[in-house]
Amino acid sequence: MKLPIATAAQAKAYARRLVLRYPRALAGVVALQVLATVSGLAVPWLFAQLVQDPGRRIDVLAASIAAFTVLQALLTRAAFAASAALGERVLADLREEFVGQALRLPLATVERAGTGDLLTRASRDVDLLEEAVRDAVPHVLISGVTVLFTAVAIALTSPLLLLPTLAVTPLLLLSTRWYLRRALNAYLTEDERWAELLDAFSETVTGARTVAAFGRDGQRRDLTDARIRASWTAEKYSLGLRTRWYPALELSYVLPVVGTLLLGGLLYLNGHVSLAQVTAATLYVQQLGYPLNIMLTQLDDLQLGGASLARLLGVAEVPPDRSPTGADPSGVDLAARDVRYAYAERDVLHGVDLDLVPGERLAVVGPSGAGKSTLGRLLAGIDGPRTGAVTLGSVPLTDLPLDGLRHRIALVTQEHHVFHATLRDNLALVREAPDDELRAALDAVGWTGPGLDTVVGSGGSALTPAEAQRLALARLVLADPHTLVLDEATSLIDPRTARSLERSLGAVLHGRTVVAIAHRLHTAHDADRVAVVENGKITELGTHDELVGRGGSYAALWETWNR
Amino acid sequence: MRDLPAGDPGAPSVSGPWRFLGWLAGTDASVLAAVAGWSLGGMTAQALMPAVLGRAIDEGITGRDAGALGVWAAVLCGLGLLLAFTRTREHKASVLVWLSAAYRTVQLVSRQAGRLGDTLARRISSGEVIAVGTGDVAKLGTVVEVCGRAVGAALSIVVVTVVLLGIDVRLGLVLLLGVPAVLALSGPLLGPIHRRQGERRELTGTMTATASDIVAGLRVLRGIGGEALFERRFRAESQRVRAAGARAGRAESWLNAAAVLFPGLLLTLVTWLGARYAAAGEITVGQLVACYGYAAFLVTPLWVLGEAAGQLAKGHVAAARVVRILRMTPEHPGDGVREPSGGELRDDVSGLRVRPGSLTAVVAGRDAGALAERLTGYTDDSGVTYGGVPLAEVKGLRRRVLYAANEDVLFTGPLGAELLPEGSDDVRARAVLAACAEDVVAEAGGLQGGRVAEAGREFSGGQRQRLRLARALAADPEVLVLVEPTSAVDAHTEAAIAARLGAHRAGRTTVVFTESPLVLAAADHVVHVQRGKVVAEGRHAELMAGAPGYRAEVTREIK
Repeated sequence: MKLPIATAAQAKAYARRLVLRYPRALAGVVALQVLATVSGLAVPWLFAQLVQDPGRRIDVLAASIAAFTVLQALLTRAAFAASAALGERVLADLREEFVGQALRLPLATVERAGTGDLLTRASRDVDLLEEAVRDAVPHVLISGVTVLFTAVAIALTSPLLLLPTLAVTPLLLLSTRWYLRRALNAYLTEDERWAELLDAFSETVTGARTVAAFGRDGQRRDLTDARIRASWTAEKYSLGLRTRWYPALELSYVLPVVGTLLLGGLLYLNGHVSLAQVTAATLYVQQLGYPLNIMLTQLDDLQLGGASLARLLGVAEVPPDRSPTGADPSGVDLAARDVRYAYAERDVLHGVDLDLVPGERLAVVGPSGAGKSTLGRLLAGIDGPRTGAVTLGSVPLTDLPLDGLRHRIALVTQEHHVFHATLRDNLALVREAPDDELRAALDAVGWTGPGLDTVVGSGGSALTPAEAQRLALARLVLADPHTLVLDEATSLIDPRTARSLERSLGAVLHGRTVVAIAHRLHTAHDADRVAVVENGKITELGTHDELVGRGGSYAALWETWNR
Repeated sequence: MRDLPAGDPGAPSVSGPWRFLGWLAGTDASVLAAVAGWSLGGMTAQALMPAVLGRAIDEGITGRDAGALGVWAAVLCGLGLLLAFTRTREHKASVLVWLSAAYRTVQLVSRQAGRLGDTLARRISSGEVIAVGTGDVAKLGTVVEVCGRAVGAALSIVVVTVVLLGIDVRLGLVLLLGVPAVLALSGPLLGPIHRRQGERRELTGTMTATASDIVAGLRVLRGIGGEALFERRFRAESQRVRAAGARAGRAESWLNAAAVLFPGLLLTLVTWLGARYAAAGEITVGQLVACYGYAAFLVTPLWVLGEAAGQLAKGHVAAARVVRILRMTPEHPGDGVREPSGGELRDDVSGLRVRPGSLTAVVAGRDAGALAERLTGYTDDSGVTYGGVPLAEVKGLRRRVLYAANEDVLFTGPLGAELLPEGSDDVRARAVLAACAEDVVAEAGGLQGGRVAEAGREFSGGQRQRLRLARALAADPEVLVLVEPTSAVDAHTEAAIAARLGAHRAGRTTVVFTESPLVLAAADHVVHVQRGKVVAEGRHAELMAGAPGYRAEVTREIK
């Protein structure tokens, strides 16, 4: 299930707001461009005066043409620089808002859509939109102004001579409408195929080690080539659309020139217009072709940019998974009531009840796929339950703002992403802290990796998975919430070290409520209470000794382990 | 129309960015020639229009002949039809060239990633390689395509000059000298543009990498916080890109001004001279209009040439990155030429000797990963031999010796092919059974028709680990080296895997680095390594009884 895409109307409304956010800058760009265009239009008019009567005022007219050319050049430069500055400003706003929204997306939604979807939006769509804003918007704006004022110039020269241009306008409008209606879908398909191609490419790159170790280069090669073929099919279709539209477009530029020449010539022969008028009007009509062509062909890119914009804005359409009510939890007691949760319409938790005793250490054990991790995420408030409630001091977790939630409850999983940043930045995610506090947090997890100023993550100094997990735990020590959910948080650290680490962490986190999801039974043995999760339910709950004494499934597990 | 992509992208020249661009253009020489040809045709049709317009004015209007006016108007219309036809063909060929260059680059870099393996991540951030796909391939496509159009544009300038010389030698010479002068005057502006664009490009690359990094680490952030920090960091980078973009825009704006100014001044000069000649009766009014048209027309091909120069700069930056990646060589290619005899894997430094055909478990604490890399030829350390041959010289090492690590990724796609690209479902099913992954396979939709979605992110850590194990077992290498293959699965499942692993690998050599008593008990032979040296070996039970150091290490876990 992909992330939503905003409607065209929403995208348009947003683009309008975005542009109007800087009204003075926009007015400046348009004014400069109008002046540049008018300076440019003076040239054919002056030339027509030369043609009318070649013998007179040649030097004065030529000097005037030169002066207007210089003026047009200067104004064009100013307009371009101003529109570039405006465009960059709008772009910066847009991508920053997008990343801000992406950071607030419900995790379950991102996972269902696939991280690739969001990744494509963050890279390709931002890029495409930048292209549209950097090239298409100034071009459409500038060409639009040019076309409009050139038409005005023709009308001022001789209203009758505007007729051929007006006569051809329907051909232009109808063919363009025919094309644009089909083009958007064609481009969206193109886009999607390209994103799929990029997905395969990214996986090959990030999984390069695996590709080489397992000799999968052939498989990856075939997949890449298949994705390229699919992309090519989509490209061929939209190319077909353009090969039908372009001839109509080209004729729309030439036919008015022919028409103006013919009509102007006949009117001249009948004494209705002067030679200067025919010449100027014909030159103007001829000049229309270039800006018109730029404007119309950039509409493609603009549409494409619009589609990217819709995809970026779609992220904001995801309904929030939490609705802060301003309620403030009175206590630190975390409880789950009749909690159910579904992935893809299949419940993985079937009515779980659990009351945590503040300050206790609860171990959650059970077979893989039984719903332990899901329960952990619900207890940490990362996801909301389908039905039932997880409450802190009788306030549902989804009623708390994310930041307020995590001051109280934090989750560390076996996911070991390390950000491409210094170790300091990787550690101080939650709050800024002086170096000695950071070092203390690292000491608490027995850190032996690189120092605070080392750049780690992809492209930097690589951390081992075990180091990455220690780092995650050190973050937790620094964050110091009153309740911690550890989902296999030490699974990648060698077991012996893991146990001593858990114990030293226990000392640092003394008095905190800890939910430890674990498959290693020593974690359960060391805990105050043990919950056994099987088939989406808590089947056993009690101290280690109680459960061993009860002779149920935990006892059997313990027996296997100690055999 | 030719179909894309090429089955084999070919062997690129990677001695430098320009050489690579040249190679890329050369692979599509015929289509590129078509782009140039159609572009020349279109430009010529366009270039002849002012001449026709001039004749229409001379013969039809000032000559007061409605018939001649009609004829020349019809000729103009014909040129318009020709233009429409050639433009469309040119566009078709341009798109083909663009896509061909972009696809070819994706193919090359993708294949190179597979060849480089672990070396790639060590040398360059994956974000930067992915940026090749998100940005560079498009720029390479554009540069190749625009070069084709530039050739057509340059030739059309020649055509116009020749026609002009026919009208008036002096005016022709002015344009002949004027056009290169215009180009030469615009040239110095390109340097700053390239620098500014390069700066913007670099900052944008970093920013995109940051955005991707943030998205990839969303789960970590959600669990513990830090969104605000990363949002601030991204904002700072985004503002740097904005400033660089505005600087690049200012640099480009001078080129835009030059594109108006220099051709405009040339036009003024031609008009001024032409008007004098017309006044003197040396040329007709129609020819004056034609000259004006030519000087104005020349802006278009000049613009294409300017665009080509700009794109060359962008393309050069993109090509430099691609070349950098394509020039890398795998640090440990594992492609020696010597056949090993017998199957003993032996490490003289640690004293570890792995018996062929047996399941050996190694207890090595936190040195496990490093030792596994040594044993499988992923490091420069010598001293490890397989069948008597040093690892670096073993023929087909990677095919024979497989090191399946927990860092390995699952790939999105059909589940069956992911477990084993070729082979029977029977082989796959047995591997899945041995890895206790039947439930994962069932959840994913079965061996037939099942899919790994999103690189397996929908599975839990334990499920992913079992799928990876099944994949390693299905590969059925001579030697399989596993590090903590059951670290993320529950005790119940771990016991079952331990029991099935040995049976599945019967007759093959398997090395498992583990601390799990369940797996150790199931091994044929157990080796205890401390500080890089073998300190004890035997069966698990023997070591538990006779090696106190071993017992201390293994049992500390369960008291």
